[in-house]
Amino acid sequence: MKTPVEQPIPLGGAAPPEERNLRKVLVLGGDRVGLELAERLAAEGFEVVLLGQAQNGSGTGGVTFVPHGRLSEVRGFLGGFDVTLSAQNGRIRERIGHIIAAAPAEVAPKFSAYGLSRTDGALALSEFPEWIARSDPSTSRDGKWFHAAFLCGLEAGSHPAVFSRVLDAVEQLGQLQNVQTYVFTRHLKVAGADLERRYRESRERGTLYFKFDEQGCAFEQTPEGVKMVFSDPLLGREMELSPNLLVVDEDLLPPASLEPLLRAIPASPAGSPFLQPESTRFCGVETAKAGIYAVGPSRGVFAPDLIVGDVEAVVAALRKPLSEPAPWTGLSAPEVDPEKCTMCLTCVRICPHGAMGFRDRALADPFSCVRCGICAAECPMKAIVLLGGVEGNETKAQVDRDLARVSAPGKIVAFLCSRSATDALESAGIASDHLSVVKVPCAGTVSTSHILTALREGARGVLVAGCFKGNCASVYGTALASERVAEITRVLGSAGIDPARVQYAPVASNTPGTLARAVRELEESLV
Amino acid sequence: METDALIVGAGVAGLWSAWELALHGATATIVEAAPYPGGHVARFCCKATGRCQKCGACLLEDVLRKVRGSDRITTLLGSTVLEASDTDRGFDLTLLCRPPRIFPDRCDGCGACTDVCPVPGALVQSPFDRRMVLDQQRCLRFQGGECRACEEACTRGAVNLDMPAQKIPVSASAVVLAAGFRPFDPLEKPRLGYGRVPGVVTAAELDELIRTDKWFPGAGASRTRSVAFIQCVGSRDAKIGRNYCSRVCCGYALRLARLLRSRYPDIEPTMFYMDIQSFERDFEARLGEAAREARLIRSMPAEIRTGSDGRPEVVYEGMDEKRVAEPYDMVVLSVGISPGQSLGNLCSTFGIDLNSDGFLGPDGEAVTTSQDGLFVAGAVQAPRSIEDSVSHAIKAAAAADRYLRRMANREKQ
Ligand SMILES: Cc1cc2nc3c(=O)[nH]c(=O)nc-3n(C[C@H](O)[C@H](O)[C@H](O)COP(=O)(O)OP(=O)(O)OC[C@H]3O[C@@H](n4cnc5c(N)ncnc54)[C@H](O)[C@@H]3O)c2cc1C
Ligand code: SF4
Ligand code: SF4
Repeated sequence: MKTPVEQPIPLGGAAPPEERNLRKVLVLGGDRVGLELAERLAAEGFEVVLLGQAQNGSGTGGVTFVPHGRLSEVRGFLGGFDVTLSAQNGRIRERIGHIIAAAPAEVAPKFSAYGLSRTDGALALSEFPEWIARSDPSTSRDGKWFHAAFLCGLEAGSHPAVFSRVLDAVEQLGQLQNVQTYVFTRHLKVAGADLERRYRESRERGTLYFKFDEQGCAFEQTPEGVKMVFSDPLLGREMELSPNLLVVDEDLLPPASLEPLLRAIPASPAGSPFLQPESTRFCGVETAKAGIYAVGPSRGVFAPDLIVGDVEAVVAALRKPLSEPAPWTGLSAPEVDPEKCTMCLTCVRICPHGAMGFRDRALADPFSCVRCGICAAECPMKAIVLLGGVEGNETKAQVDRDLARVSAPGKIVAFLCSRSATDALESAGIASDHLSVVKVPCAGTVSTSHILTALREGARGVLVAGCFKGNCASVYGTALASERVAEITRVLGSAGIDPARVQYAPVASNTPGTLARAVRELEESLV
Repeated sequence: METDALIVGAGVAGLWSAWELALHGATATIVEAAPYPGGHVARFCCKATGRCQKCGACLLEDVLRKVRGSDRITTLLGSTVLEASDTDRGFDLTLLCRPPRIFPDRCDGCGACTDVCPVPGALVQSPFDRRMVLDQQRCLRFQGGECRACEEACTRGAVNLDMPAQKIPVSASAVVLAAGFRPFDPLEKPRLGYGRVPGVVTAAELDELIRTDKWFPGAGASRTRSVAFIQCVGSRDAKIGRNYCSRVCCGYALRLARLLRSRYPDIEPTMFYMDIQSFERDFEARLGEAAREARLIRSMPAEIRTGSDGRPEVVYEGMDEKRVAEPYDMVVLSVGISPGQSLGNLCSTFGIDLNSDGFLGPDGEAVTTSQDGLFVAGAVQAPRSIEDSVSHAIKAAAAADRYLRRMANREKQ
């Protein structure tokens, strides 16, 4: 996790836009998918700027092609991104409503994983369609069999999308006379539509599959070709094969063009190549920042039929009427008190959703903010409040109000995350006389001063319960909460107060025992 | 009653498509046969080992929270579709809605009713709030019987068996079928010993025991240490017509193995498998780790039998084609995803066909069917993980929304 200090100010001085143009879309493309997406959006009446692709054929109304354009910087918010593109004729600045990363996967042939180099007889999988278009292996060797061997995850892993392409090639060769095909692998990746059936059919039609466990296959590459030496994993027999054609599989990696977008989404996990945080909660095409979307390889989806689904999903996402996220929290976006805000911009740096901007003071964008409350907890001036709350009290921040209402003396005050621990409480059946509950939108909402207030009011113990590491919907709310708890316990310890009185516990909404156990352990440590 | 979209099934897929449609401004009515929403995922546990393992199970609680807060979505529990006919404006349907037999505000989950109920599984605890719910497809009284045992046993007057079921006519412009799947029934493979050999359970059962905090390794000599996971039970098995990979079992089995180990470090998991499927974005890079987390044996057991010490014994072909019999404390069958039991009915009600794997609707990843305005979402159409079911549901909702707008435009003209 990046702490606020290490993190550069993500959006460089942007303020939430006063007017939003939601009809203008930037698409980072590069293959059929980008083009199809741009055309679909244009047909829906969007004005599209498409990068990475030359105009093809008739051209489409509504799409501006910037074939050699690269995205270099993004600032701003949904409906009002200021993007800088570097194109052949210099820099272009555009004001854009939505940005979609739909570039194709980087395809990296695995020659080096096998100690091979590319020759006429040893090709990468992507080269096969072109090769077969200009060769006819069945007639070129009058009567002799043509041997084609495919490597598929024999080293360094594989993927159903890769196996599917190997099957394409094997099936194509299967149409020809006198061609024997072989597949060398460790784990066949058949977890995709129709792959198991196609695998079986290819085997029944004569393709030989060799599946290795520990030992693999040795390659001897000479100018004449490649010799494969291995022991048959089923029969244990030593074998040699000098295929006429060896096809080497490839790694599918996220596109390389994501860097400026990763910078624009503060919650992008450090070092992750994907646009979405690792939490399963990002399971659609949305990223942690409103208005930026990931399609296909940008979010780790590589199978063509699934990428088609992403295209549908993102077109639909753009069609949705503008609405503030998370209406169920009942909170409005953070209000920043201009008297208190000193423009330290802690909130701008810390907001995992890139929802905070500033003008003469910090300003939240209501359409990007998910009401996690992390900014309010981190603001050193206590200048930020989230208004509203379950009972529509419009004057006080919900957490402070609820905290003021709980009866603390002799009880355990439990701050429960609304995305995990409150569900767990419902099904855990914990007797309510044990706990005084304060529901919080995210564990990251709970500030050190909330915890100290609870202790001051006479709480026997304080439990902060949030999601598991890696599952926080505000990405690092969980980490912030546990860091704050650790900090408080250090302070308590040095002040001679039992540090065990304050604890952080990860809790699962669907496994109430996780909460029950945390409460029990806290109670036991108090006696 | 009128609704833009009628959704059959309140599993993750059905709930998610309803939520997406609501975001587009449409109204959605969900028809769910069971007395509680959530489908299979409502019985799954969190597999976090201190760190989230990305099983996706808690996405259900997420979407339930959203659906409950939406005034555009109506959920009818204990209900099914009796009839459907298509009209030029969509579908005219008749629903059978059974009232809840146990008033949630009176029930405190004491379980007095379950103690007297003669039918196992007819009275179950709701996965979300510990209250009891009655499955009217099992209860004797709704199968023509006369039993009233639970009503008499309840001291809080929470049970009412007399309110009649209602037939409700609904017109809907679009229908999304999200009726889910059926876990493979291991009795179809009797050699695996399920129901016969003590200590053999399905992964679904283990999942639920952990969710409800009822699984413990025991103590002393009978402490569970060795656990075998048998993969591909009812998957990749052309002999029984399962010519597909269920796509989720390698993932849930390895996650369960890790969870057990993290809670009880002396547990030693073994996995019998054909090929290990990747199930996380970075799984391939960490395949080596999987081999350290569990002993991996590439072999499909021929038989599971009761060993001489009463423990289950896994018989398989080991190295050099030698037959090996190994005892385990517990054997977990990683059951796959089979076509749901109500698919035949849905086919005839809505006039569509099964696909080549026996699931509903088209092959591949598509969401449209041969009927205009009729869509499929989630595991009803092909084996899918929770996350993939959600993606599929989002795609189905997108297609349904497009269809709804087309219909609305046509009407305007
Ligand atoms: C043992 C096991 C473990 C698994 N573990 C994982 C895991 O860890 N991670 C993961 O991603 N996936 C896992 N899965 C897969 C997961 O269960 C599915 O992805 C998910 O349940 C699919 O959701 P669904 O909504 O499509 O179907 P379901 O969950 O089956 O929901 C369908 C709903 O429709 C209702 N219904 C059915 N017919 C009708 C009808 N005619 N009328 C009205 N209602 C009807 C049902 O009652 C049910 O509520 C697992 C599967 C199994 C078998
Ligand atoms: S509440 Fe959360 S999402 Fe909203 S501005 Fe503050 S930190 Fe960002
Ligand atoms: S239920 Fe699964 S996805 Fe959710 S926190 Fe637990 S391990 Fe992670």
